Amino acid sequence: MKALHVCKKALLPFFVGVMYLFLYLPIILLVVLSFNASPYFYAWDGLSLQWYRELFTSTEVWQALQNSLIVAFSAVALSLLCGVLLVFYLKRRYLRKTTLLFYGTLAAPEIVLAVGLLSAFVYFAVPLGLLTLIVGHTLIGLAYVVPMVTSRLQEMDDALLQAAMDLGATRGYALYSVVLPYLMPTIIGAGLLVFIISFDDFVIAFFCAGASAQTLPLYIFSVIRSGATPMINALSTVLLAISSLLVLLFSYFTIKKGGGDYA
Amino acid sequence: MKQSLRASLKSEIPFFMVVPALVWQVLFFYLPLFFVIYISFTQQENNLFSAHTWENYATFFAWPFARVLLRSFSLAVGTSIICLLAGYPIAYYLARRAERWKNVLLFLLVLPFWTNMLVQVYAWFALLERVGFVNRMLSYVGWISTPLTLLNNSFAIYVVMVYYYLPFMVIPIYAVLEKLQDEYLQASRDLGATPIQTFWRVTLPLSMSGITTGFFLVFIPAFGEFVIPGFMGGHKYMYVGSLISYYYLVARNESMGAAFTVVSGVLLLVGAYMLYRLFVHFTPAERAS
Amino acid sequence: MRTIRIEHVSKAYNGDRILDDLNLTIPSGQFFALLGPSGSGKTTLLRLIAGFETPDSGRIFIGDKDITQVPINERKVNTVFQQYALFPHMNVFDNVAYGLRVKGLPEKEIEQKVRKILSVVHLEKQMYKSIDQLSGGQKQRVALARAVVNEPDVLLLDEPLAALDLKLRERMLVELVALQDQLKTTFVYVTHDQTEALTVADTMAIMNSDGEIEQVGTPKEIYEFPKSTFVANFVGTTNLFKGTLIIEDEKTLIDVPHVGRFSVTCPTNQPWACNGCKVVLSVRPEKINISKEPLEGFANKLQGIVESIIYYGRSTQYNVRVANDTIVQVFEQNVEHVRTQVIDYEDSVYLYWQTASGVVLNK
Repeated sequence: MKALHVCKKALLPFFVGVMYLFLYLPIILLVVLSFNASPYFYAWDGLSLQWYRELFTSTEVWQALQNSLIVAFSAVALSLLCGVLLVFYLKRRYLRKTTLLFYGTLAAPEIVLAVGLLSAFVYFAVPLGLLTLIVGHTLIGLAYVVPMVTSRLQEMDDALLQAAMDLGATRGYALYSVVLPYLMPTIIGAGLLVFIISFDDFVIAFFCAGASAQTLPLYIFSVIRSGATPMINALSTVLLAISSLLVLLFSYFTIKKGGGDYA
Repeated sequence: MKQSLRASLKSEIPFFMVVPALVWQVLFFYLPLFFVIYISFTQQENNLFSAHTWENYATFFAWPFARVLLRSFSLAVGTSIICLLAGYPIAYYLARRAERWKNVLLFLLVLPFWTNMLVQVYAWFALLERVGFVNRMLSYVGWISTPLTLLNNSFAIYVVMVYYYLPFMVIPIYAVLEKLQDEYLQASRDLGATPIQTFWRVTLPLSMSGITTGFFLVFIPAFGEFVIPGFMGGHKYMYVGSLISYYYLVARNESMGAAFTVVSGVLLLVGAYMLYRLFVHFTPAERAS
Repeated sequence: MRTIRIEHVSKAYNGDRILDDLNLTIPSGQFFALLGPSGSGKTTLLRLIAGFETPDSGRIFIGDKDITQVPINERKVNTVFQQYALFPHMNVFDNVAYGLRVKGLPEKEIEQKVRKILSVVHLEKQMYKSIDQLSGGQKQRVALARAVVNEPDVLLLDEPLAALDLKLRERMLVELVALQDQLKTTFVYVTHDQTEALTVADTMAIMNSDGEIEQVGTPKEIYEFPKSTFVANFVGTTNLFKGTLIIEDEKTLIDVPHVGRFSVTCPTNQPWACNGCKVVLSVRPEKINISKEPLEGFANKLQGIVESIIYYGRSTQYNVRVANDTIVQVFEQNVEHVRTQVIDYEDSVYLYWQTASGVVLNK
């Protein structure tokens, strides 16, 4: 009876363990293979950094990286700017209803957004490139920035603003010296989130980037389709490391400094 | 004159601050949707749009297209169900059992979500190929003699779909279970229920809102998915997403593409709504606390 | 002088009249308490003085200055909020210095003032701590320091001790009184707790649930000489007897049907205190003597049966059922460890009080 009980108790953690193994097997494999001297999965020739060397000397990769970074930083800047200004200056009464406007972006499958944008661009003969991509990513960015910052603002004790004015600050000064710092952790967190989403995005890029602008995901796509080289392992590992760092930063800003719950 | 202009500008400043985001949303989300619908009623000849016609839609009243829609729909439902079955226990464990490891495990759960989807797809290639890791391991321990075909089939598609969408299911369920008060469960045990009965009668109904959220966070994007089924299925079958991208990027027939987008969009809305009603039916009524 | 005058002030929210033609004068330099039940409008009144709201009609003066239309940040009034409202992204020092910095004072002067006020509230050691590291009582004192350091004409306190536990509350009350004594600033203290109000106030005002001021006076005046049954009941407890006033040459009596006739002090110059008028007699429980044997020397006497006894440590409460099923409450201080004449349940007892111990009220 005792043994059965122990088995039952251990069942759940065992299952969870298996699931986590499932989640990480591909990732671990990639990381390990990136250091494999042999170009083949099935043979291990010892440790080597040659794929990393190849990665860092590939002009294609650097170009794609550059494009990805341009798009990501622009999308972050634009969505943060527009989004924060909206939340900051909109009268409280209208805020909740207005945020509803932005939910559509997240509710629809990404392909619908991409197709919509493409249809509009084609109709107006707008040339496709980095700019059209930035437009699309900013759109998605807004859909994250506005709800996140709004929710943070609503958490704020109304009395804070009143206290600042009671102590002699004008409304404008109170907004900047009290409300803005309060929102800042969430703003930074949202910025990180938008950055990562833009950096990793494939679907919008696939439709809206056109032939000229190749971002990192698009590059990986073309390489996989035409037959991958092990350099992709190295690239994947590097991207993974960057993602981990960004997730840690994101958690730090939204949970620790932003006080409270996830999502 | 200048004075009043300044004054009115000052009060207008909030207006200018607020407008950019709204304009962006309308211009790049609502307007394009309108365009998609508009274009779907046109015919295309070398980038010239003309005529108003239902012809595009008429083409889709054929079995091949219905099959595509059905295929995507069943993939979405299937993925969601598997994610639910696999994800609920994980969420439960994280919320109620994992004390010290909770934050670490949450971090690990979410990390793949932040990784490039294509990287994930590529990694699964390496695992599932005939000469891939899984096959090699299985033959190494002697469980199989010839390599299994793990790639280019439904199995591979579902594996990677679940792999990609699992965090979307776990997180909302985790959020709800985390807030679930111990007292409810203790009361149930106190009144004589076994742990299993407590789960069915108390925990599960109270976590319905999380299940519903998770389900739709998986179902809706999964419907439009074409990269994963494409790569993992060997590009053998057409899904909604692949058909749309074919029309837009290969055939360059945006009108047809738009029409099909509308058709699949409508189907998605209808299907999602019906599923939603189903979920609502099983969700206990909310009481004000 | 910085007397606060509130003249004919009305305020409504969503059609709900909270304050209607309210008039109140708050004397300068005193600890003033505004006492009333929840929803009586006392917080609204405070917010009007602070400037967070503007009255629909009426005016507010501080000294000679009409501040009705003056914006919040320009009034020489500071508020201590119920939930403290300390700025989470600043430490203690910066919180306290905020008002001074807004005024643009030189940093050196600011540092001096902040240090001084923090030592007054015993928080010098926490000067650079961040807000989330403080306990409830410490946060309370930071909120206080932040307001007081600006040397306002008036300090408003909106139920500042509500979130603290009993012992801490008692200590803070003492500190607040000492602080007001030291600064000589007018403190306007809003609370629904009558013990708090009685303890700290130099002058207090009672508001009822309709947003009207029932009575203004010193705590003693209000407690011993309430002007209405609302005040008599809200501040402390009392026994109320409804009856008819009988005014004779030498004495005044109240005739309480089925209970008896009692000697009272006739209220002077009150139109409602006429011969034959319907009035209410209020006798506080501690003013009544209880005894198993008859006593001499009291003007008023009642007989009854002890129905319940509640022990409060330093006093005992007896609920005595008298004629006509009226229950009279009696508080007796436990002067002896054990009462010489033990009074028990269902004992027959006599209740006595003096003429002057009762108060005749109108409503």
